[in-house]
Amino acid sequence: MSESSVLDEVVRLIAEVVGEDVLLGMEITPETTFSDDLGLESIEFVALADRLRERYGAQVDLVAFLGDMDIDEIMAMTVGQLVDHIQSQPAAHG
Amino acid sequence: MADVTARGLRFHVQQLGSENTGPTVVFVHGLVMDNLSSFYYTLAAPLARNGIRTILFDLRGHGLSARPETGYTPQDSALDLLAILDELGVEEPVYLLGNSYGGVVAMHAALKAAHRVAGVVLVEAACAGQSGELWVEDIVNTLSVAALGLEFDRTGEQLLKLGQRKVAKLAGNADALLNRTSLIDDLVSGALLSESDLRQVACPVLGVFGAESELAGAAKDLDRLVPGCETHVIPGLGHTVLREATGELIKRVLAWLDAVR
Repeated sequence: MSESSVLDEVVRLIAEVVGEDVLLGMEITPETTFSDDLGLESIEFVALADRLRERYGAQVDLVAFLGDMDIDEIMAMTVGQLVDHIQSQPAAHG
Repeated sequence: MADVTARGLRFHVQQLGSENTGPTVVFVHGLVMDNLSSFYYTLAAPLARNGIRTILFDLRGHGLSARPETGYTPQDSALDLLAILDELGVEEPVYLLGNSYGGVVAMHAALKAAHRVAGVVLVEAACAGQSGELWVEDIVNTLSVAALGLEFDRTGEQLLKLGQRKVAKLAGNADALLNRTSLIDDLVSGALLSESDLRQVACPVLGVFGAESELAGAAKDLDRLVPGCETHVIPGLGHTVLREATGELIKRVLAWLDAVR
């Protein structure tokens, strides 16, 4: 799966979690941060992780990925870092 | 899959390590600004990696769960918790881990359904006695002042105009919970257990507190009243044990589970 399609998919799931209207007039790029740019609440990131697990399967192992960071590090993360993680899991392809 | 309907309400539930065969730990979070994410990012994943099945849920009115107008006593939340376990098909006794107010809910559940609760971990929670009374008085005052401020300053609307979506949403949720539900009244009328209630607690209890916390007296109350109790007071910490002593808490919980099972 190409990087842009994983990015598109992550953007689609973010819109599902926060609502399309919140993202109006905002372009999400790999540099966009979850907390400062998107204003995502920590509970919304939980909901996003849940949707990613449904979409890409348990193999993406977000729990292990997130388990190595504290909440501040998670929320300061960029969309690109999350996409890179998904991208790096062979099971997520296809 | 993250939504569970129990007692006619939609609850946001997350499970990490649901395939694990070890003991089941159910997490109960604190009041108003808190939700299951405080466990999701701290204890849940490390415990799941140690073979524990973890269940996290947002209390009614909190996080992504529904926000009805009434039913905010800890007794109600204890019934919510048991009904969620029913919906998930969890029949074996579980361990409850409550942070702050979540500990009060956990203790109510342990008394209400002793056969379903194998043990309780209280993190910075005062459930009864003088420490409990002081806590309820303090929290009710704090929440009442916050409620007035949110109602009259229209904080949420102002923040939204400034483009502060996240803070605006948190303020909006707090406003709705404090000003348009029975939460504050329910805390005044029925949050606390009595000292004789605590003497009836039949399951093992682990209490972890911060030495600088206003709730430090609750550790002494637990030692004095609860028969099968182990308490730890962590030097230098206040009420934020969960966030600031996550590693120590994980070690304590795992060791305690090994000892009491």
